[in-house]
Amino acid sequence: MGEFMVHRVRFFDYMPSAIRAMAFNAGTQRLAVARADGAVEIFNFADNYFQEKVIPGRSGRAVEALCWVGGRLFSAGLNGEITEYDLEKLRPRYSVEAYGGPIWTISCNNQGTLLAVGCEDGTVKMFEILEERIQFQRNLDRQKGRIISLSWHPSGARIAAGMIDMIRIFDAKTGHATHRLLVERGLGTTRNTEVVVWSVAFLSDDTIISGDSAGKVQIWDAATGTLIRNHLITKWDVLALSVSQDQSSVIAGTSEGTVVQFQALASTMGQENSQWVRTRTFKNHSHDVRALVHTDTAVVSGGMDTQLVVRPLLDKVEKNTRESAMRKILFPHRNLVCCAKKAGLLLFQFPDHLELWRLGESNMQGQPGDILPVMKKPEKLLQLQNKGDDHICCSAVSPCGGWVAFSTVSSVRLYKLQLSNGNISINKVSKLPKELHSVYQLCFSSDSSRLFASSAQASVVVASLDQLQCRHLHTLKPKSGSSQPIHLLSPSENGKWLAAANTDGQIHVFNLHKLKLHCTLPVYSSCPTAIAIHPTTGHLLSAHADQQIFEFSLKLKEYTAWSRSLQREGLHPLWLQRDTPITHITFNANKPAHVFLHDLFMFCIIDQSLPLPQARKKLYNQMDLKTRSPQERMQESHAFKICKMFQHLLSVDLLDNSSLVVVERPLADIVSQLPPPVRQKKFAT
Amino acid sequence: MKSREGSHIDDFTALAIMVKSKRVKTASRKKNANTEKPSEDLNQVLDSSDDDAPEEVTFGDSKNEALRSLKLALDSAKREKELLKEKRRKRQELFQEQKKRKLLPAEVLEEIESAPSKRVKESSGAEEDEAVETKRKEKKSVEKHTRNLDGNYTVTTMKGGAAVSFQQKAAEDFIQSRLYGPGSCRTTNNQMLSLQNKRGSKKSAAVQFVKKDWALQQKAKAEKLKKRWIHKLQVPS
Repeated sequence: MGEFMVHRVRFFDYMPSAIRAMAFNAGTQRLAVARADGAVEIFNFADNYFQEKVIPGRSGRAVEALCWVGGRLFSAGLNGEITEYDLEKLRPRYSVEAYGGPIWTISCNNQGTLLAVGCEDGTVKMFEILEERIQFQRNLDRQKGRIISLSWHPSGARIAAGMIDMIRIFDAKTGHATHRLLVERGLGTTRNTEVVVWSVAFLSDDTIISGDSAGKVQIWDAATGTLIRNHLITKWDVLALSVSQDQSSVIAGTSEGTVVQFQALASTMGQENSQWVRTRTFKNHSHDVRALVHTDTAVVSGGMDTQLVVRPLLDKVEKNTRESAMRKILFPHRNLVCCAKKAGLLLFQFPDHLELWRLGESNMQGQPGDILPVMKKPEKLLQLQNKGDDHICCSAVSPCGGWVAFSTVSSVRLYKLQLSNGNISINKVSKLPKELHSVYQLCFSSDSSRLFASSAQASVVVASLDQLQCRHLHTLKPKSGSSQPIHLLSPSENGKWLAAANTDGQIHVFNLHKLKLHCTLPVYSSCPTAIAIHPTTGHLLSAHADQQIFEFSLKLKEYTAWSRSLQREGLHPLWLQRDTPITHITFNANKPAHVFLHDLFMFCIIDQSLPLPQARKKLYNQMDLKTRSPQERMQESHAFKICKMFQHLLSVDLLDNSSLVVVERPLADIVSQLPPPVRQKKFAT
Repeated sequence: MKSREGSHIDDFTALAIMVKSKRVKTASRKKNANTEKPSEDLNQVLDSSDDDAPEEVTFGDSKNEALRSLKLALDSAKREKELLKEKRRKRQELFQEQKKRKLLPAEVLEEIESAPSKRVKESSGAEEDEAVETKRKEKKSVEKHTRNLDGNYTVTTMKGGAAVSFQQKAAEDFIQSRLYGPGSCRTTNNQMLSLQNKRGSKKSAAVQFVKKDWALQQKAKAEKLKKRWIHKLQVPS
């Protein structure tokens, strides 16, 4: 095994954005998450919670609420607009101005025909959901005070609206407010401040459950307009509520970071009178919980600490299985770091700008495990600010470091760089081919002569790069027109092949010399998370969201023998239990049998010449092998060599000079920049 | 003595007009006056004791007094109003003069007004079609964004507008103040992490966030020294 000089990079100041709203589509098992910077992410809960799609945000778009209507996704924000998203083109389809001031909440009725939004000016506006658009229908009675939260009755006849100091019940047909439920203010000094009803839920048996800023969860009877039960769960605000599908369980999220569950239980067995009883408390967050979703089997929460936590409920899933493990999604499931291998440069992608850094150097030698002093410090060569409000969708740097490209939903920009002993000059390529306009993924060929961009209808645009010119060469189209976006692009080292994978699970391989489709891999049920083409053997390696790995031979157009033996023996159970996907695959030019993979917590070198690990043996046996004698090492070593020294890896890459670049993001750095948490007085501190 | 007594009576007629409740005041005032001039008023004090009945004042006298004071009040009010009026008038005149001074003399204005119309007449003669077309185009482009109302007002729609509108900013401020404003009982991330360290199963020290831009010069100096020392190490090898 070769020894590598590892560049440990910690100067990527990536700061994830707080989660503001979530909505779950039970039919397609997709969770939509809206972040504070306006980005919307789609997670596939059926596919190991993989982050399939990311719609980049926009400065000025402050999303407050999300709503699924069938397969369509709507969002409403403080800019006063209702936006429908195109999930195939990964951009907003259109925006409708509601003319009511900032919109605080959006909710759809069970039948999927009407969309109600609560506005700042006190009106609840009804929009009719049509085929291609939504149309304003009417306003309900205007109230004094802003409408913070809305909930439809399952029958669609009434709407409960949470406002400041009260809850109003509207009749959806006539538009009149029938009941007014007055919410009590807090005790003590909080009696002077108004209580905000942050969320309401209307159940089918005519009860309303409300969470307010005084820390109370209250159960009301909607028919008479009276308070049934009052639960004080926290000293701070109750920011979110979510009801399960069968309406037997309600969860409430607080500013403390706790999620409290209430269940409708009968006081004695067999009796009919069920009361809402507080059952479980989950403390999975350190900061405010602002968004909650109650699925059939789990509690999904997200908030100001930017982490998405999925907590399966142990009465719905079997204990001590993979399904019952808590999942925390901390970082995006895609690569935000691009490495220029020949030039030793790193490109970091931020929402509104790009940073290009040159790695530091150390010319000392040392033993394995030594920390070498840095002679030449890493320096930031370039910061490219994006003009306009849209956030950056994808970016790439060519391996020689001469070209940088990035794209937003509205435009693509290409720059030519010249690096000459200390000086850097940058020129923008002004005239880009018109086919390059809505791009989801960008990639440069290994000789930096071609730019590949994935565009609409699963097609790939090939453009040639000259001195300062970019000309469109060809648009590669696969036979079957899947409309899902291509999220992975990988060219081969020799410039002959290009592999493209889309979120439908299809992986197409194109022949670049002939400029046509070479083959399509058999579709696997799980979405591919990383693909790469081996430089010498010409095999395509793909890693999927359920942690499976496949190797496909492009010449023979079939799976390789190694891949078949891997499938036959099966991957080690500990490998399959990992909960973060592999985001990058790369190879070592000097050792063709080695494959480098990494996920958030480990990086692994797979040696295809060694035997595969058996299920009953240890998977993480590197430390073990060190202590053994050389003969025992030969017997015990297996193909998967995993290193967990570097944690929270955002990227691992191998430079041309056989040194490894490891980009880490310590969690403590992120936590130190979050907004302030609540002050809890604990005993003996 | 008699004269004093006479003046004494005058005092009483004046005072009798005042309200009943002030009778005590007046008595005290008299007493104060007495303290100022003890020698003179001693006799008065001796003369006017509290046992005496108040002096009688005729109805007519008191009526006259009342009317007089009313008249005085009205007169003073009128005078003040007139004074204010005068002031205002003077100010207005001053402003008008200043305005006149600011504006160009009337003749120059007339000239300017006549000049563009002359020019228009000339151009219309020579290049009538083009001018009209450009005017129409201008009018069209102008009409897209502006409208001319009566009385020399134009209404223009703003392009784009501010990225974050006033209402959106107000709504964001509302959330910010409810969650992080006064009375929200918040602490710092440093505190939270330090408490976690303190209460964790493996106790460790409090977290301190290092200020990266602290003592930059000293750090640079240390860097140079380190480089020099490493170079020294390498030279013999």
